Amino acid sequence: MKILVPLKRVIDPYAKVKPLGDGSGLDLSGIKFDINPFDEIAVEEAVRMKEKDGSHEIIVVSIGTSDSEEQLRKALAIGADRAILIETEHIYDSLGIAHELEAVVRAESPDLVLMGKQATDDDNNQAGQMLAARLGWPQATFASKVEAAGTRLQVTRETDSGEEVLELPLPSLVTADLRLNEPRYIALPGIIKARSKPLEKRPASVMSSPKTRTVRYDAPPARAAGRKVSSVDELVAALQEKGAL
Amino acid sequence: MLRKSEVRRLGKDNIMAGLISNQQHGGSFFSQTPERIFTPEDFSPDENLMIQTAEQFSRKEILPQLEALDQQAEGLMPSLVRKAGELGFCGIDTAEAYDGLGLSKNLAARILEFLSLNGSFSVTIGITSGISQVGLSLFGEESQRQQFLPKLTSGEWIGAYALSEPNSGSDALSMSCRAERHGDKWVLNGTKMWISNAKWADLFLVMAKVDGERVTAFLVERNAPGVSVAREEHKMGLKGSSTARLVLENAEIPLENQLYVEGKGHHVAFNALNLGRFKLASMSIGPAREAITQAASYALDRKQFGQSISDFGLIRKKLAEMAGRFYAAESMIYRTGALIDQAFDQQGGSVEGNRLAAEEFAIECSACKVLSTEVEAFIVDEAIQVFGGYGFTEEFPVARLYRDARVSRIYEGTNEINRVFLADRLMRRAKEGRLSLSGSGDSYLSELAAKAFAHAGSGQVFIGALSDLAMLSYAEQSARLRAKQQGGIFDLAYQNFLQWAQLQGAAAYQIATGEAVHVPATPHLGIDELAAAVLETKAPLRKT
Ligand SMILES: Cc1cc2nc3c(=O)[nH]c(=O)nc-3n(C[C@H](O)[C@H](O)[C@H](O)COP(=O)(O)OP(=O)(O)OC[C@H]3O[C@@H](n4cnc5c(N)ncnc54)[C@H](O)[C@@H]3O)c2cc1C
Repeated sequence: MKILVPLKRVIDPYAKVKPLGDGSGLDLSGIKFDINPFDEIAVEEAVRMKEKDGSHEIIVVSIGTSDSEEQLRKALAIGADRAILIETEHIYDSLGIAHELEAVVRAESPDLVLMGKQATDDDNNQAGQMLAARLGWPQATFASKVEAAGTRLQVTRETDSGEEVLELPLPSLVTADLRLNEPRYIALPGIIKARSKPLEKRPASVMSSPKTRTVRYDAPPARAAGRKVSSVDELVAALQEKGAL
Repeated sequence: MLRKSEVRRLGKDNIMAGLISNQQHGGSFFSQTPERIFTPEDFSPDENLMIQTAEQFSRKEILPQLEALDQQAEGLMPSLVRKAGELGFCGIDTAEAYDGLGLSKNLAARILEFLSLNGSFSVTIGITSGISQVGLSLFGEESQRQQFLPKLTSGEWIGAYALSEPNSGSDALSMSCRAERHGDKWVLNGTKMWISNAKWADLFLVMAKVDGERVTAFLVERNAPGVSVAREEHKMGLKGSSTARLVLENAEIPLENQLYVEGKGHHVAFNALNLGRFKLASMSIGPAREAITQAASYALDRKQFGQSISDFGLIRKKLAEMAGRFYAAESMIYRTGALIDQAFDQQGGSVEGNRLAAEEFAIECSACKVLSTEVEAFIVDEAIQVFGGYGFTEEFPVARLYRDARVSRIYEGTNEINRVFLADRLMRRAKEGRLSLSGSGDSYLSELAAKAFAHAGSGQVFIGALSDLAMLSYAEQSARLRAKQQGGIFDLAYQNFLQWAQLQGAAAYQIATGEAVHVPATPHLGIDELAAAVLETKAPLRKT
């Protein structure tokens, strides 16, 4: 099986970011970048599938500037076989990314697209669903378990009302939730091996114009100081006073 | 012959990529200012990924188990070493031909720094991946390397290094351990003291004397007849590491386990130590790094007088000074590591070449060892102060950091021995015409150092003061060049360090010469900015 894992370079999710003074963007000085954690989970899952069945091929793809090579190399170090960078400075929204990935899928014909359910920078949670729709493929989102069952996939997804188990034919698309797995330590020999794995650069092909536009960046307002109450009665009274009860 | 491996390629890469300038040689900092030095910011993205794996390993596998490690829970430490081995940490800079990763010594040191957030694990992994292998790598026969190195690099075996004895510490060559040849065997008798990893080690590199005078190195397997390990020493710190005596009673060693030439064991022992000292420097700032993290986190949480103690000027001053000195130690360590790699690249390969390469930057290795271990001591001490009374209890991890740090200034050559060695080496090289003591004139400290070296003086106090001046000059130059190359907050870190370094240098100058000396003022100590940066990231300074 051929598994395609799209991944995004994002600001280190643990970094504290500040908007630039004029709100035109974020102050990125000294900020580290990493693979979007949900995408790293998707890479990890693909690698685990390959560990069970060595015939799988794992292709990772990222869309962005050459800076994203760093994240692609990391995915190769985790165990992907080859990488594609769609090299572009174009600004995309989720639909634009789905368009661009659709072209990659048509060129590579994978059996499975496995990707993070959302990226921790924009938190859109859309690209996977949009890509599946454009391809006309079955999709299973928020996967917490993925099992190959012959030529089909069994995917457990977490929903508000409990677990749902889906069976999908291939090709199909799965988006990874946090509980799918815990990514491994990246072993040093894997990092060395990744140096010689192929990383191919391709130009962007669709570059659709975004349907959304970022107007400005503002820091969330500082949280107002709380108030301590000494008893439950006082708490209830305070909540009633605020009209919360 | 060492294989053409990554180690050597990387050294060359750094020169070609212009990361270090080509003309530096041992002690040349004293009379020259290089155009460029290697800085921690120059590690490549995939090297940083390796460093990140090391930090994750420390945070997820080591730091949650400090209590159990200190109690030497059965099997715990060896299992962690094996786990580390699976990730590649037991043979970072050993050649690929022996299942090592063949990475540069500089990168190995950086990785060790991040594996050293706890002292006990640090010394265990540091010795088995470093000083227990380096003798074999540099001086071993191909068959010996094939036989032993893969076991050590995989983490299947744990290695140890046995030089010290009950009556022979700093004066290591006065050892009384004997080796005699009986037919097809060597028979060893004696006691080696303070042997790290003794309890877990499968292989010991033992120095002993043949005919009571010719120091020779031997590879001693734990299960050889006549080999035993005494009880654990009761130590003040590093309780999770094993330190015990190795007892050799008619221990029988095959002839082929003699390492290198009979009577040249001191080459093996001391060259391993040169590189060991360099790595110990990075292993000392690892715990200091963790102490800064702990101190910053606590300072933010603790409130007194209705405000966070991190707002108090004297607490901020501590955090700034911790950051400044950490920065300087870090600057000099990784500058030195790149130089060592360069030396191996240019001279290494043959046994004689390896020996020369390991020796080339011995002065810098000693300077790194002394400065870094003293910076570590300062940082763990101030971390306790930030914690107040809580720091004095075992409830918080800083007390352990403090206890564990104490031995850094004692082993791998005490700081006194390293000081004597450093100045002595500089003067010897100058006498041999290999370097000039005229000073680079690039700073106040280098001028003081050159004047002090020109002063007629003698005795250990004089030598020690010269050594301090040379060491401070090297640290200052490294910190200055890194700030120049990388800028940002490092400019302030440099200024803050400079103020301390100049005062230390002036004191040393007075001791050496008896003369009064003027100390220039440092324009901006950057206390608030440095403290703010440390409090924000809860870590030593990063490039901004
Ligand atoms: C936890 C621990 C782990 C260790 N691990 C190992 C190991 O794995 N392998 C190994 O071989 N050794 C190991 N050692 C031994 C260590 O290297 C020695 O303790 C060290 O070299 C000092 O020797 P000593 O303790 O005999 O002190 P001494 O040499 O007796 O020194 C006592 C004091 O005198 C000073 N002094 C001695 N000579 C001079 C001089 N010429 N000029 C000025 N001052 C001098 C010293 O600096 C020191 O302050 C370890 C020690 C410890 C505590």
